[in-house]
Amino acid sequence: MILRRTLLAAAVSLGLATPAFALPQLGQAAPVFSAMDAHGHKRSLADFKGKTVVLEWTNSGCPYVGKHYGSGTMQALQRKETADGVVWLTVASSAPDMQGYFTGPTARAWAAKEHWAGTAILLDGAGVIGREYGAKNTPHMFVIDKAGKIAYMGGIDDRPYADPESLKGAKPYVALALADLKAGRPVATPVSQPYGCSVKYNSAD
Amino acid sequence: MMRFAAGVLLALITAIGVGGAAFAQTGPARHVQAELVAQRQGIAPGETIHVALRQQIQKGWHTYWRNSGDSGEATRIKWDLPAGWQASEFIWPTPRRVPVGPLMNYGYEGEVLLPVALTAPASARPGEPITLKARASFLVCAEICVPEDDDLSLTLPVTPASAPQDPTWGGAIDKTLAAAPKPAGLSAVFQPRPAGVALAITGAALKGADLAGAYFFPFDATVIDHAKPQAIERGQDGLTLTLAPGYSFQGGHQPASMGGVLAVGDKAYEVAAAPGAPPPGASGLGPPPAKAAGGADLGLAAAAVFALLGGLILNLMPCVFPILAMKAASLAGHGGGDHAEARKQGLAFGAGSVATFLVLAGALIALKAAGSAIGWGFQLQSPPVVAVLALLMLAVALNLSGLFEVGTSLQGAGSGLASRGGTLGAFFTGALAVVVAAPCTAPFMGPALGWALTQTPAAALTVFLALGIGFAAPFVLVAFAPALLSRLPKPGPWMETFRKALAFPMYGAAAWLAWVLAQQAGAEDLAKLFAAAVAVALAAWLAGLAQRGAAAGGKPFVLTAGAGVLAALAVAAVAWPQGKAGELQSEPYSPARVAELRAQGRPVFVNYTAAWCVSCQVNDKVALSTHAVEQAFARHKVAYLKADWTRRDATIAAELASHGRAGVPLYLVYGTNGADGVILPSILTPDIVVKAVEAADRS
Repeated sequence: MILRRTLLAAAVSLGLATPAFALPQLGQAAPVFSAMDAHGHKRSLADFKGKTVVLEWTNSGCPYVGKHYGSGTMQALQRKETADGVVWLTVASSAPDMQGYFTGPTARAWAAKEHWAGTAILLDGAGVIGREYGAKNTPHMFVIDKAGKIAYMGGIDDRPYADPESLKGAKPYVALALADLKAGRPVATPVSQPYGCSVKYNSAD
Repeated sequence: MMRFAAGVLLALITAIGVGGAAFAQTGPARHVQAELVAQRQGIAPGETIHVALRQQIQKGWHTYWRNSGDSGEATRIKWDLPAGWQASEFIWPTPRRVPVGPLMNYGYEGEVLLPVALTAPASARPGEPITLKARASFLVCAEICVPEDDDLSLTLPVTPASAPQDPTWGGAIDKTLAAAPKPAGLSAVFQPRPAGVALAITGAALKGADLAGAYFFPFDATVIDHAKPQAIERGQDGLTLTLAPGYSFQGGHQPASMGGVLAVGDKAYEVAAAPGAPPPGASGLGPPPAKAAGGADLGLAAAAVFALLGGLILNLMPCVFPILAMKAASLAGHGGGDHAEARKQGLAFGAGSVATFLVLAGALIALKAAGSAIGWGFQLQSPPVVAVLALLMLAVALNLSGLFEVGTSLQGAGSGLASRGGTLGAFFTGALAVVVAAPCTAPFMGPALGWALTQTPAAALTVFLALGIGFAAPFVLVAFAPALLSRLPKPGPWMETFRKALAFPMYGAAAWLAWVLAQQAGAEDLAKLFAAAVAVALAAWLAGLAQRGAAAGGKPFVLTAGAGVLAALAVAAVAWPQGKAGELQSEPYSPARVAELRAQGRPVFVNYTAAWCVSCQVNDKVALSTHAVEQAFARHKVAYLKADWTRRDATIAAELASHGRAGVPLYLVYGTNGADGVILPSILTPDIVVKAVEAADRS
């Protein structure tokens, strides 16, 4: 073990280590995280061991987020899934001064206005969780199964458009993935193209 | 009252603002002005002309290409045309890369024309104007995004014959169409590798082209990670880009194809890549040389001075460090005495450095004149050269470690000062230092070398000469300065220790070169190099035994000869051109692909293999890579799939288990009749494979 660690350290110092893979891997353990929620409570992925967890990246000013909240489909899914015991974490990774940046009070005001129905809104203004998961878009969705493994990653559905008309007949990947997990089936579409606005990370990096 | 009115007003503004952000209808603050413009002043019945959606985009904002990258949405247009009229999809101009924080988008800034081909029906009646209506939807983004829609129309007269060009937009649309990416007969293949997805593109259009800044814009957003850099490796016939894989490569899958646009300088080509092994002509020449920035106005004298300084500073570069170890060992040998010998060696080292610089520069100029796209440091882009250098470094290191001696110079240095025959050694030390230092010069000496290579050969050689003199100067000067030389510590037993310590930078250099080779040529050549390295070490030890035997008065001719033969074999093994032509083209295995190919009625040969499986490699070499097998596969149109079990793979493990195997090799041949696969023996001969394939095609 020590030998292996030494070798690894040597490899890293020689620049021989392969670059870290940027994307979280399907079927692999979900990256762990902890953050403050809109009510000032510390939330960690470890708190939800044994439960199915949905991660939803959001930005209150993004028209794609607007499509799903304006029509009420996002809140309907949140209500249904949380009632079934699913943990739904809405993550706001917009940096301060960027569109969609949340503090506790602004997040609570938005939640009240939109009738948001998830478990917690995580304040990730530093973009730590966002980068950990390689979140590119709002809404970018991840589903973590009860074993803590990534079971779905990608778009909320198959319609990468801002136009609310596009909701008609959309294939709701996240809802389908959750249904598959509940039924104990393998997730039929475990990866899809995420779409939406870019996550408004601090541009300095 | 006033306050109430203000409140209502505020609420109204907010409502409009929110509505605007969500479903932006035309409002006061538009970020894009859109219109339809035509290439010609009219259109004749049956004719095809181009009309374009023109977007005038506010500064700092952008709209999107067909693949918008990590976020955003491509501009769309929905035509409402009279019966019989037809409009094509957009002919997308090459996009720009628009980085947004850590993400990457593809789109357009400023003004863009998105042309479509418009075809009039033959029944269109001249004299009647035609109105083309369309609804354009686009997302326009700066840091934030706003969707905008426009109902647009354009009225054109139907003319009896082709109409003249539109004076305002005709030229601009023609230019856009001429610059738009087109297929240019390029062949492209892609292959997932540990370092990323290798996309190899070859064809006449890329031969001799300046490939600096080449970039692949994929049509599909799922195939690559857009924000990651695309490493360029040039080849005789094209290039290989190493791309960070996107979502389609998750969980061991890969896309059926990768289409997109390759942008090279101001040219852009449409390419469609299929899975497959990159051809040899797509790589081997290293990355494009760094652009010579600001070197254009450098005069010859200034360039020579810079080169001289550059040469001096080069002595501090990490590339040269291991060679400095040798120089130091040699210098230490002269500390405290025999200044004449030191001067001789100093001059020899200087001559070796300068001569090698000139030879390399001459070769570079000649190759450049012959049309090769190569840059400085090219000698390290050739895997055999790298391999031989690695062995040489190893030999030098073994020598420093004391395994054997070269001539009498170092022995002499160790025992006293009676060194003879050191002049030639010093000359070659100088030469070696330059060969290894050359790649370090590229980034550092960029402007001067870039300038030199665009000048006449004489001017170029002058610059390289100055570089060589600068490089050799410190060592030569020390050798000529008795004051400095006498300050060096006196020789003694400490030198033996010092020399052995200096062996380690050389081992390091050999390890580094082995790593370079692994990057260039892959694991197989690395294995060959390691085998050769073991042979070299054995040869060095035998040579040492022979030398000690000779010192004791013996005549160990056999040992000496054995050492020589071994060393020669080792060098030949790594330097000999690789015969890779015989390797069969395979495609990656998946159960779905097998089913698909069998459904097409083709015989399928599946090779379950792994890099660590020695018998697999032997079978590959002695049976599968032979001419007879290659011909048999071609004759019977056999699909050859490789199931690579080098890394853990549940699918392959399950497949092996279902055939009662716990490991590789396993060779399965599926006949055209749909029956179960036939298992071939674990030790193959060409004959076994050919017969199995013939039987499979008959059955």
